[in-house]
Amino acid sequence: MTTLPRETQPDPALEERVVSNLVAAGLVRPRHGVPRLWLATAAVVVLAVGVTIFERRPTLAPGNAYVVLLYEDSTYRPAPAGRNDERVAVLARWADSLGAVGKFERAARLSGPGPLGGLFIIRATDDADAARIAAGCPFHQWGGRVELKRVEK
Amino acid sequence: MQGVARSGGPDHESATDDLALVARFLRGRSEDAFRALYRAHTPALYALALRLTGGDRAEAEDLVQETWVRALTGLRTFRAQSALRSWLCGVLVNVRRGRIRADWRVVDVPDVEPIAMSPRHDDAIDIERAIAALPEGARDVYVLHDVQGYTHREIAELLGIVEGTSKSQLNRARSLLRISLP
Repeated sequence: MTTLPRETQPDPALEERVVSNLVAAGLVRPRHGVPRLWLATAAVVVLAVGVTIFERRPTLAPGNAYVVLLYEDSTYRPAPAGRNDERVAVLARWADSLGAVGKFERAARLSGPGPLGGLFIIRATDDADAARIAAGCPFHQWGGRVELKRVEK
Repeated sequence: MQGVARSGGPDHESATDDLALVARFLRGRSEDAFRALYRAHTPALYALALRLTGGDRAEAEDLVQETWVRALTGLRTFRAQSALRSWLCGVLVNVRRGRIRADWRVVDVPDVEPIAMSPRHDDAIDIERAIAALPEGARDVYVLHDVQGYTHREIAELLGIVEGTSKSQLNRARSLLRISLP
């Protein structure tokens, strides 16, 4: 008879990553404010993985999948240095509010040439619903351009 | 084949402690209170995630991260009648299954018979490898039932399948393990 362990200690660094992501997402209150360096590190981590903590909700609403494309073109006002984390947190909260009603699938930060900076994949009951959701994307408030595409089944 | 011992159900023993930890966290959502929850339950979540991902550490860590995000988002819906660990494991299983459904890079493949394990001296490593080689559906049920201690009814609810499917997947997993283990 062999007993398999029901507990396995993960890499200790995972705890710090989880905590920093949760703090950045506004789900956990940090101990004594958040040192700027720590915030910057958290932002880099979160951006590097493309808001992965909010990817792919398990229970999805019926309807179609849509891609919400975020363009950082000439009208886009980049975040001041070291304050990207605030934008990530705002987008994450928006994604989370969609996820709570099964309308969020995944998000990704995109790199490479061109103004396309990121995308969300959402679910919506129809085109009008998707347009309403895309219109509420906080990316607009920074002058970003939001484009919506329906994913063909 | 090698049997897999388990001790009771999926619930760990300190339900009262869990309730206190949850209450403490919900009072102020403080980092210290979260770290206490994290340390109490992450080793179990990570062990489960490793088995469900066939030993992929990066994917398992990612699953654990997302599980905590989802758990904290919905912690107020946690009810004391289920143990916190069971609830968290359920969140993780659902995060994992949601990823399989939503990620177009992950495609269902026809069930593949596990490759026979080469002789090893470490029985536990042999079993872990054999479990990792199981077809996904059978592996999920096997891990939840024989390792984590869930009942077929609980597994059916978690995975959105009927109890009969859970039982047949478990039998299938056990048969495949009998073939692949000396």
